[in-house]
Amino acid sequence: MKTMAGYEDMVGLYHPEDEHDACGVGLIAAIDGKPRRQVVELGIEALRSVWHRGAVNADGKTGDGAGIHLELPKVFFRDYLQRVGNAVEEDASFAVGMIFLPRKDFAAQEEARLVVETEIIRFGYGIYCWRQVPINTEVIGESANASCPEITQIFIAGKADEDEESFEKNLYIIRRRIENEIRERHIQNFYVCSLSARNIIYKGLFLAEQLTTFYPDLNDRRFASSYCIFHQRFSTNTNPAWHLAQPFRTLAHNGEINTLRGNINWMSSYEASFGSRVLGEYADDLIPVVPPGTSDTGALDSVMELFVRSGKSLPMAKLLMIPPAWSLDPAVPEMHKKFFEYCNCLVSPWDGPAAIAATDGRWVLAGMDRGGLRPVRYAVTDSGLLVLGSETGMVPVKGAEVLERGRLGPGEMIAVDLKRGKLLKDFELKDALASEHPYAEWVQPIVRLQEIMQGRPQKEGEKEGAFAPVFSDTELARRQLAAGYTLEEIETILLPMVRDGKEAIGSMGDDTPLAVLSGRYRGLHHYFRQHFSQVTNPPIDPLREYRVMSLITRFGPIENILGEQADLSEIMHADTPILLTAEYEAMRAHLEERGKAAMVDALFDADGSPDALRRGIDTMLAAADAALSRGAHTIFITDENAGPNHCAIPMVLAAGALHTHMVRTSMRKKMSLIARSSATLDVHSLAVLIGVGATAVNPYLAEASVAAAHGKKLFGDISLETALENYRSALAGGLLKIMSKMGISVVSSYRGGRNFDAIGLSRSLVAEFFPGLISRISGIGLRGLENHVLAGHRIAWHEGKVAPLPVGGYYKYRAQGEPHAWEGELIHVLQTACATGSFKQYKRFAQGVYAQAPINLRDVMDFRPDRGPVPLDWVESVSSLRKRFIAPAMSLGALSPEAHETLAVAMNRIGAASNSGEGGEGPERYKPYANGDNANSSIKQVASGRFGVTAEYLNNCREIQIKVAQGAKPGEGGQLPGFKVTVEIARLRHATPGVSLISPPPHHDIYSIEDLAQLIYDLKQINPDAIVSVKLVAQSGIGTIASGVAKAFADKIIIAGHVGGTGASPYSSIKHAGAPWEMGLAETHQVLTLNGLRHRVKLQTDGGLKTGRDIVIAAMLGAEEYAIGTMSLVAMGCILVRQCHSNTCPVGICTQDEKLRKHFDGSVEKVVNLMSFLAEEVREILAELGFKTLDEIVGRSDLLRQVHQGGADLDSLDLGPLFTQVARRGDGPSICTMTQRNEVAPSLDETIIKDAKEMILRGEKIQLSYAVQNTHRSIGTRLSSLIVRSFRPEELQADHFTLCLRGSAGQSLGAFAAHGLRIEVAGDANDYVGKGLSGATIVVAPPPSSRLVTKDNTIIGNTVLYGATSGKLFAAGQAGERFAVRNSGAKVVIEGCGSNGCEYMTGGVAVILGAVGNNFAAGMTGGMAFVYDEEGGFPQRVNDESVVLQRLASSHWEGILRDLVEEHARETGSLHAQNIVGQWDYTRGHFWQVCPKELLDKLEHPLEDAGYKVAKRA
Amino acid sequence: MQKYHKTEQKYPELRPSRQRVKDFDEVYGEFRPENAQTQSERCLQCGVPFCQVHCPLHNNIPDWLRLTAEGRLRDAYEMASRTNTFPEICGRICPQDRLCEGGCVVKDFGAITIGSVEKYITETAWQEGWVETFAPERENGYSVGIIGAGPAGLAAAEQLRRSGCEVHVYDRYDRVGGLLIYGIPNFKLEKEVVARREKQYRDSGIQFHLEADIGNGLSFAELRGRHDAVLIATGVYKARDAKLPGSDLGGIVEALDYLIASNKHGLGEKVERFANGELNAKGKKVIVIGGGDTAMDCVRTAVRQGATKVTCLYRRDRENMPGSAKEVLRAEEEGVEFVWLSAPEEFRSQKGKRVDEIRVCKMRLGPADASGRRSPVPIEDGAFGMDADLVIKALGFEPEDLPVAFNEMQLQLSQWGTLKVNRQMMTSLDGVFAAGDIVRGASLVVWAIADGREAASEIMKYIEEKQRRAA
Repeated sequence: MKTMAGYEDMVGLYHPEDEHDACGVGLIAAIDGKPRRQVVELGIEALRSVWHRGAVNADGKTGDGAGIHLELPKVFFRDYLQRVGNAVEEDASFAVGMIFLPRKDFAAQEEARLVVETEIIRFGYGIYCWRQVPINTEVIGESANASCPEITQIFIAGKADEDEESFEKNLYIIRRRIENEIRERHIQNFYVCSLSARNIIYKGLFLAEQLTTFYPDLNDRRFASSYCIFHQRFSTNTNPAWHLAQPFRTLAHNGEINTLRGNINWMSSYEASFGSRVLGEYADDLIPVVPPGTSDTGALDSVMELFVRSGKSLPMAKLLMIPPAWSLDPAVPEMHKKFFEYCNCLVSPWDGPAAIAATDGRWVLAGMDRGGLRPVRYAVTDSGLLVLGSETGMVPVKGAEVLERGRLGPGEMIAVDLKRGKLLKDFELKDALASEHPYAEWVQPIVRLQEIMQGRPQKEGEKEGAFAPVFSDTELARRQLAAGYTLEEIETILLPMVRDGKEAIGSMGDDTPLAVLSGRYRGLHHYFRQHFSQVTNPPIDPLREYRVMSLITRFGPIENILGEQADLSEIMHADTPILLTAEYEAMRAHLEERGKAAMVDALFDADGSPDALRRGIDTMLAAADAALSRGAHTIFITDENAGPNHCAIPMVLAAGALHTHMVRTSMRKKMSLIARSSATLDVHSLAVLIGVGATAVNPYLAEASVAAAHGKKLFGDISLETALENYRSALAGGLLKIMSKMGISVVSSYRGGRNFDAIGLSRSLVAEFFPGLISRISGIGLRGLENHVLAGHRIAWHEGKVAPLPVGGYYKYRAQGEPHAWEGELIHVLQTACATGSFKQYKRFAQGVYAQAPINLRDVMDFRPDRGPVPLDWVESVSSLRKRFIAPAMSLGALSPEAHETLAVAMNRIGAASNSGEGGEGPERYKPYANGDNANSSIKQVASGRFGVTAEYLNNCREIQIKVAQGAKPGEGGQLPGFKVTVEIARLRHATPGVSLISPPPHHDIYSIEDLAQLIYDLKQINPDAIVSVKLVAQSGIGTIASGVAKAFADKIIIAGHVGGTGASPYSSIKHAGAPWEMGLAETHQVLTLNGLRHRVKLQTDGGLKTGRDIVIAAMLGAEEYAIGTMSLVAMGCILVRQCHSNTCPVGICTQDEKLRKHFDGSVEKVVNLMSFLAEEVREILAELGFKTLDEIVGRSDLLRQVHQGGADLDSLDLGPLFTQVARRGDGPSICTMTQRNEVAPSLDETIIKDAKEMILRGEKIQLSYAVQNTHRSIGTRLSSLIVRSFRPEELQADHFTLCLRGSAGQSLGAFAAHGLRIEVAGDANDYVGKGLSGATIVVAPPPSSRLVTKDNTIIGNTVLYGATSGKLFAAGQAGERFAVRNSGAKVVIEGCGSNGCEYMTGGVAVILGAVGNNFAAGMTGGMAFVYDEEGGFPQRVNDESVVLQRLASSHWEGILRDLVEEHARETGSLHAQNIVGQWDYTRGHFWQVCPKELLDKLEHPLEDAGYKVAKRA
Repeated sequence: MQKYHKTEQKYPELRPSRQRVKDFDEVYGEFRPENAQTQSERCLQCGVPFCQVHCPLHNNIPDWLRLTAEGRLRDAYEMASRTNTFPEICGRICPQDRLCEGGCVVKDFGAITIGSVEKYITETAWQEGWVETFAPERENGYSVGIIGAGPAGLAAAEQLRRSGCEVHVYDRYDRVGGLLIYGIPNFKLEKEVVARREKQYRDSGIQFHLEADIGNGLSFAELRGRHDAVLIATGVYKARDAKLPGSDLGGIVEALDYLIASNKHGLGEKVERFANGELNAKGKKVIVIGGGDTAMDCVRTAVRQGATKVTCLYRRDRENMPGSAKEVLRAEEEGVEFVWLSAPEEFRSQKGKRVDEIRVCKMRLGPADASGRRSPVPIEDGAFGMDADLVIKALGFEPEDLPVAFNEMQLQLSQWGTLKVNRQMMTSLDGVFAAGDIVRGASLVVWAIADGREAASEIMKYIEEKQRRAA
């Protein structure tokens, strides 16, 4: 079982392993290594200042957990021991165990105590006594109290002759033995927080500020420590779990491990070969390294603990597990690269957003993930303290005391060596480690595949250096048939990959049957749906941030990762896991010569004998076992020998079976698994193979197909080699995209991670071959697969003439192919119905839909009435029902203005709502038109691009929707190509006409659940009336995410299905990402109900809803509102051309082409008719079922039943989990009862408005002054709402309302701050300064007393000016990562920034008077940036794909720059800026000007003047 | 692709009407290759291809348009011939404006010229020698007899032959092609086009038995005995008649008689009723009654034969006529006069024997009937007279009485006299299938092809089932 202790069991669709958490984290250390009481007090203080990063349970009192990790206060405990009668010498060593015991089950408690004592004594140590830790349970919530353990301490006597190091190691082994024994005995609710002679952890399920109230021990002055690590948790679930509170024994973590499952699998395959100098004989006690049921942080901690206990230093352990992105970083020295390569060979990175604070007793360390996705700010004081945490200002440090303010960048760390009393920065730490051993020599034996390729003899028949397998035409055709290829697949998927080097794009979602419901077998990979990030971790942009990603693949065995030096002599290195046949053959020859390769067929008998497939798998596994025992380490599994008598085992199954088998036998790390697969053609099939465990893949049949097409001269003049390389780079790009949408950056961490939902795979098949994969409705098993493969095989290898390849019909409808929900006839019938207003005609449409073969899960459901019908008249009215319908987000930009406005007017007319989509909306629409039409979208969307998201926009709506993911491409960004950016669209989006606009994959202010809480907070400030909704896409685990979203104070959650989405995106995303809304909605409803949160959020669903019946089913599965996207387009004339991305829509709906827009034939009436029809049909069904209102059936999944068991080939199809009625927690009803929005905590603005409302409303110039700290968030935002509601911008001066603040401002300082507002901060500020800035001026400068050199210190946090549209920011110091990301109009001067500065910028001017991080200006398509590069080296930090950089060469632009620098100097008093201005003739030569390429021909003032006098170069 | 709004719609060059009425050669020229390509590039490649939806054969039109646009004509031909037995014939004679091109989603911008591209592809295939014989690698040992060498019979014959059957096709006429050869005028479909298919069929091992009138010579029962399955695809030949005063006057002829005579004459045969002028429009004032494609064929044939005046009478209006609008346009260009909303009421003769005047009643359109078509209602006092030397009645066709003709009373008929078949296209007799107009009633060639292909696949299933049971 996954669960460890105290969990509720799986219910319905809720699975505990889906839970996520995120948090506030930090540490305080005395650099001299000497214990101080001050350290502990500051730590406690800090926890009080991060409460807003945690969350409160539905009971209002139970926190998600908090805790503190300290040096063992030996004096305190020795005094205690002596007081209770133990004879303890002053210098005697002893250890304390902080242990949670079962509280209510006394027998279990007794047994647990016995186990603990036994293991201690068995190891030869003595026990002093147990101590019941004093606690105050009054401060904890009801549910925390219910699960509160018996909290005890045990005291262990050390041995006189033993050093502390050895004692500590033994305590570790004792603890692992205890844990294993406890698990053996099935004792629940037992947990060891810490067991150490050096340190102790106090933690529990309370709010951070209650730490000392709950544990009065901590108030004792004898609690002194040289360091303290603290943590506040925000979890998506609300199941009280004391043991999940942090810190753990080694670390505390803010973030998420995206690659957890793969990491744990790999870890367990190392276990058999542990050998450590230090732990030597005890290896068996350490297994499993990661106990079942451990959380992601728990797992990270367990492995890191293993490393440090086995003799590696803490900085080394950090780099092994969370390495930086080094391979493409030009700034990394060669020596470090060798060292990192060595680390990467040993351990596949634990990938995901991570800020960690850790200690091993000697080191105290903080580290950051490779992407820099969590904030870490620090200060060094003149009293010798390092103060570090998620936010600046958590610990008040006087400005004058600070020697340095900094932050951790991507992959960086900072540490205090307590033994030497020294603070070490990132480079020093890495440099010391890299020079510890001759890593260059150690990695020297690694063989590079490229070298083998260059050295190998030319093969016969090989053309131009490329070698694709050559089959005769008929043999190729037979193989293609057997592998399930269609002409469509070849022509519209494969060949475009060769031509363009990337994946083809489609539109309008997926309306074909789920694989499990289809009458056609489309290949095993169709049952796997890609996972993606939403809310709890960010996806990556694989195009603009490729530098942090890697496909580097290593082959060969690693024996012992704990040893001093690992033997790498048999390791082979390839740049990608996609092997072309030439490489495959070369590799095979190379390894065969050395006796290390084994060829294993993945075949089964085609004679139709029973269980042939299973026998085939067994044979394959046996062959692999035999090969390994012969000494081979690379298994090539291949289906190339399939033929008339042998079928190919689906390669996904073969690879999954072999990988699983090898993990189980602990052999996986000793071997490589190379799959030569006929069925691998598109990126999804490739990703599934690697995801289930293949080391590398050779798509030989696709290659042969490319070669055949090349032979027909279909690619123009390119060589076959180029053609194949193009195919490979398309696959590679697609694989990176699939990894990136999960937030995984390196393929070695993706491999074997099974990051999919299985939809329609038999549970037993999954358990056997893909354990850990989530398969909630069961489905096809071995026998079914066997039948399908055999049927295809018979057609393929049928005697006589070979049959032609099927034409396809999966992507676009073909009469001979898959059914599509949107059939030609139905489209016409519906359009006639909407045009004529004939309900009868609509019913014909609905009947047509019902007559279709099952496509969606709801098509195999029916109603199970529990009462008789009622008269139709009794049922709520059409008008009332229609209000629940939504026209979902489709942006103006995707839609033509005509279509966009028609939808808005129609929905407003019936009191329903339309969604603006991501693209802004013209202010002229905010008021009804003269004819009474109201074209204002009452829902305004906030998406990752933040296009047109201004204070004004956000104040003109009833609902603000945060689009976290969309059905067409969850986890991916988008791009509006330049040709669609008309003058009008450029106006709305604050961009330049004709210049393309990029929406990043993540919201750069939502990397984690507490970030979402912050954004919701910001939005509720900027609009004090609107509700805030969050749009998610269905996938397994969405219920817990939704719980987190609910706890973040969202008022509504939208669950989109995979089918929906009108947007353009790569085919593999449209087809293979996300899950049906039926599953996502049911899970969300169930988990919210379980957690007692359901009543405070509304649920909405969308995804291919077409009839009243669909709506009633959605209601029963838990939805209160229903979005009708595609269908409302069809009502307006859409005929599913599916070319939305090409600007050629012939009906003028999805195009910006003036000529085509004239063909728009939609009308408000047509849309209103559609909504009325749907409502009327809902009424009919309600009457039939005997209900008067829709509310009565919301969540009544017991009124549904399954009516179809799927095809005969299925083991079972079990929708039961969707229909589960879960028990409610507390007294919250299972339907939303909120009549108003969930209010958030008041901000400082409340006070400001109270102080000055009268004056503000009179338009008086005012100046107000406040002291602030980091808990004051979104300062100026609520005030800006008042401003935009009361004034037009031109009525106000830039400094009309001035706020003077002292201290560390909390997150989102000046978010959406409007024109007229001026904010001055003397101090510093946290993340998101000037988010969505809408005209205000923000000035941040150190306090006058500060001694800091501004350009060398960090003054503002990450993601500054995200989505800013206008205004100014001057900050005297550095900003963090992603400075000015998506800035589209603000002007800003700062003095340095982290990585990804000015990313996706589309407007405004950014001046940076200091060093910048990597990947500057990636995806920047507008605006201008100037960087002062005194040290040199800026050019290599630029991502120049979309920009050019040059020295100043135009007096116009120089003037703009100089004015801004002068203004900065004036505003902030920065000495640095004054120096630059003062020596302008000299300093201007240090500036680089960065300009987007697309802008070059559109600039009013060109970058170069004819007569410009070039500055002297420094 | 997707250039529909950037490139103008263009059909292959039409020969000038003044020139084309002088001969019986096809009126359309060929696409130049670059035109075929640019026209194909106009295709939008729809997600729901309404062209295919509206095509009786469900041709994969977007696919072969794309292949043509890419210059991959051989692949395009292979794609086109996958679903269609005679793409070059459908390309010529299908009323595309009512089928594929009528469904085309960009028709507001000018539909894609699907028919012309189809013809172009297939003609190219003939020229390049890509059209191959289709004799099977192995004979399956079964034999099928097909009555009727028209489009339905031929479509079935090809499919069955490909599957390995021995195929015998019986026809009462002396040529292969049925209506394709005798019914459709040369200027729409040159006979050579049919003849080369005949050669392909013969080379593929299909055996034709011409001038074999079943029931009159070879008996139907004997035929059933010879074959494992029989397909009846005789078409409908009996002219529908309007019983009006004066119907039995001379100079009033049936459309099919008229067209067959003209076609036979064109093929160089001696046709007595043509030679004696009875079925020749030369120098005559011709009135054709009817609004279907057959009527269009008649008026345009009459123009070419040298009629002094050709008029078409139809009782509904232009919008409600069943024939192809494109054909009407061509006929108008060639000088034909259309008199809409007019129905004959009486044939008159001054001299007694031969018709010389038609009394015509003006009509108006009443409300739509169940089928959605508006039915004509006579306007009182709206009658007028028209001069005529030759009246051709093109009022549609009805099935002959097959049970009588075949002397097989077990053969069940529908209420319209067509053959009754079940879902497997089998008649009331075991192993006897039927397809084409004899089942469907008079319809389009493309429907006959579709039915023939479907019948062939049902026959194969029947045979295989029989084989399985025997085994």
